[in-house]
Amino acid sequence: MSPPSTTHPAESSPLARLSRINLQQYVVYVGFVAIFVFFAIVLRDSGFLTSRNLVNIALQTAPATIMAIGLVFALSAGDIDLSIGSTVAVSALCAAMAMAAMPEAGLLLGVAAGIGAGLAIGLVNGLLVAYLRLPSFLVTLATMGLFAGVARSLTQLRSIPVTDSMFTGLFGSGSLFGIPSLVIWTVVAVGIGHFVFRQTRFGAHVLATGDNPRAAMVTGIKVPRIRLTVFLISGAMAGLAGLLYSGRLQAAKYTLGETDLMTVIAAVIVGGTLLNGGKGSIIGALVGSLMMGLLNNGLILMGLSVSDQMIVRGLIILAAVAVSLRETTR
Amino acid sequence: MRKHLIAALGLATALTPASAMAQAPVTVGPNGEPATPVAALQLTDAEINQLKQGGFTAAFAWHELYDWSGAVAQGAKDEFARLGIEVVAETDAGFDAARQQADVETVMSRSPSILVSLPVDPAAGASTYAAALQGGAKIVFVDNAAAGFVHGQDYVTTVSADLVGIGEKTAEAMNQALAGAGKVGYIFHDADFHVTNLRDAAFKWHIENTYDGLDIVAEAGMADPARIEDIANAMLLQNPDINGLYVPWAEPATGVLSVLRQLGRDDVRIVTIDLNEPAGLDMVSGGSIAALIADEAYNIGVYAARAGAASLLGRDVDPFLVVDALIVGPANVAEGWQQSLGHAAPPSVLAAGN
Repeated sequence: MSPPSTTHPAESSPLARLSRINLQQYVVYVGFVAIFVFFAIVLRDSGFLTSRNLVNIALQTAPATIMAIGLVFALSAGDIDLSIGSTVAVSALCAAMAMAAMPEAGLLLGVAAGIGAGLAIGLVNGLLVAYLRLPSFLVTLATMGLFAGVARSLTQLRSIPVTDSMFTGLFGSGSLFGIPSLVIWTVVAVGIGHFVFRQTRFGAHVLATGDNPRAAMVTGIKVPRIRLTVFLISGAMAGLAGLLYSGRLQAAKYTLGETDLMTVIAAVIVGGTLLNGGKGSIIGALVGSLMMGLLNNGLILMGLSVSDQMIVRGLIILAAVAVSLRETTR
Repeated sequence: MRKHLIAALGLATALTPASAMAQAPVTVGPNGEPATPVAALQLTDAEINQLKQGGFTAAFAWHELYDWSGAVAQGAKDEFARLGIEVVAETDAGFDAARQQADVETVMSRSPSILVSLPVDPAAGASTYAAALQGGAKIVFVDNAAAGFVHGQDYVTTVSADLVGIGEKTAEAMNQALAGAGKVGYIFHDADFHVTNLRDAAFKWHIENTYDGLDIVAEAGMADPARIEDIANAMLLQNPDINGLYVPWAEPATGVLSVLRQLGRDDVRIVTIDLNEPAGLDMVSGGSIAALIADEAYNIGVYAARAGAASLLGRDVDPFLVVDALIVGPANVAEGWQQSLGHAAPPSVLAAGN
């Protein structure tokens, strides 16, 4: 038997070269374009391509995109934050209650209360994970339930109207030079998030921590501090998403964000972030989030029953995630 | 528990605690409007033909789909089909007000002529339905209306269950179960939920004021349905003469059943609200549940669709339409299930009844 050759002839073929391209990096972009083109053709007479509908998709996905940015940091550091949905509700309610209690302080107090609540929850998660060294999955699973309970008890299930016009303009229905404020928030958050993640030492330390925490520690990276910080970022981003929800809805309720967790996780994973850390993409998460929004929108406009929408959405997400994760195991 | 209870938090009512009232409680609409029975809303053959030729469309933006709202949805779909109105989109907000707002915006891209919806959060209704208002859809609400919306101008009508009527029928069923005389244990929903509060108070009022042979000898609030067994156990131990129990809805009633079995109290009769398979099975098997009181959920959908269609023809629709409540007992379980939910009772219930 001849020894195996080190360079298999097939490896240099175009097909082999194509197979070596890391599909994971592109699956979200290819998926986004494919879904968009599919709906654009199938729903050409059903309002899909109207500017109003496309703007709606961007507006509707803004809070999930903001949450996704925080989750990219947490996942890239090798942790997960399952409490982001509950954080959204608590932050939105804190902001609304603060503004209702002191209307004269209005906008600033609302923002401080909302973001402050997000940071506080992030701090609790971060301290438990980074310094008590408890697994983030279990910690945030527990705090997800805990803060969902807090959100319910804060107002005895009642919703709180948000009447401050500056707040609702800034975080909801307002616009600057014709660009909706929610789109501006998305662009700013994605821009800053991408810069911090890609261009700063902190971003590199997050990835190093997620890739191999022991090695990161040996190289002098303060791993506990990095892990605490990613939870603070995740909490703050969820807090900002809470402000966007309450601004857009002009009310806050304990249900806000409750159903977003799975959508956000799917968006982030499809967008090229690894579940077990060491790799992430803010731009991928943005496109992943828009892809989820596109999917929801198109399936509704196709006139599918709710059950069929759920089945098709599940299958498409499964396919996209399968392609992403299959690549990571090679 | 039916999750649409929460959606009806804002339902306005003139009801005060029943014991303090001299007059029988009545169901009123979100803005205090008097209730109109749905049967008053009919379409002529000529109107139906006009609708069929109009090329109209409809969309649903549900709060959440489960057995009760599924029955409402099916009623609306069947009625739209009868009127030649195509349903172009349907959404389920998972009881999330923000998602319902997104859903409304999305379905409006199909420019439906009618939007049927149960508001997740009436207080946020103005933002939730802004796109529908702007798009010119005829908005028909189920159970509750968006706060600040004006009947006839912003929305067509609200179609709801007759909540006080349900409480009244529950008292009637208790009277039948105890043959006009007995000691009643009254377990009420101890929370600020208008739907259950109205039903509970109406039941109590009618026991105290309509049925002389019935006495409420024990009262207990139930804040958490998971604790129903402790509550029922304590009530029956302290009041062994109780032979009738009111439980605010069917799910906790199945917990009371297990307490009765443990205590060997097969003499106690239970009346409760909503159709539920385990409760229905106990009832038809000769168990402790004497009757289940239900609203005509399917008809809520039928008349919501019809109200929207009538509005398209320029007709005025009353602001608050209510469907009947019905008593479902062992003798009418098949018909009652069909009438309430628009589909057959579960096979286990039907088989046990034969």
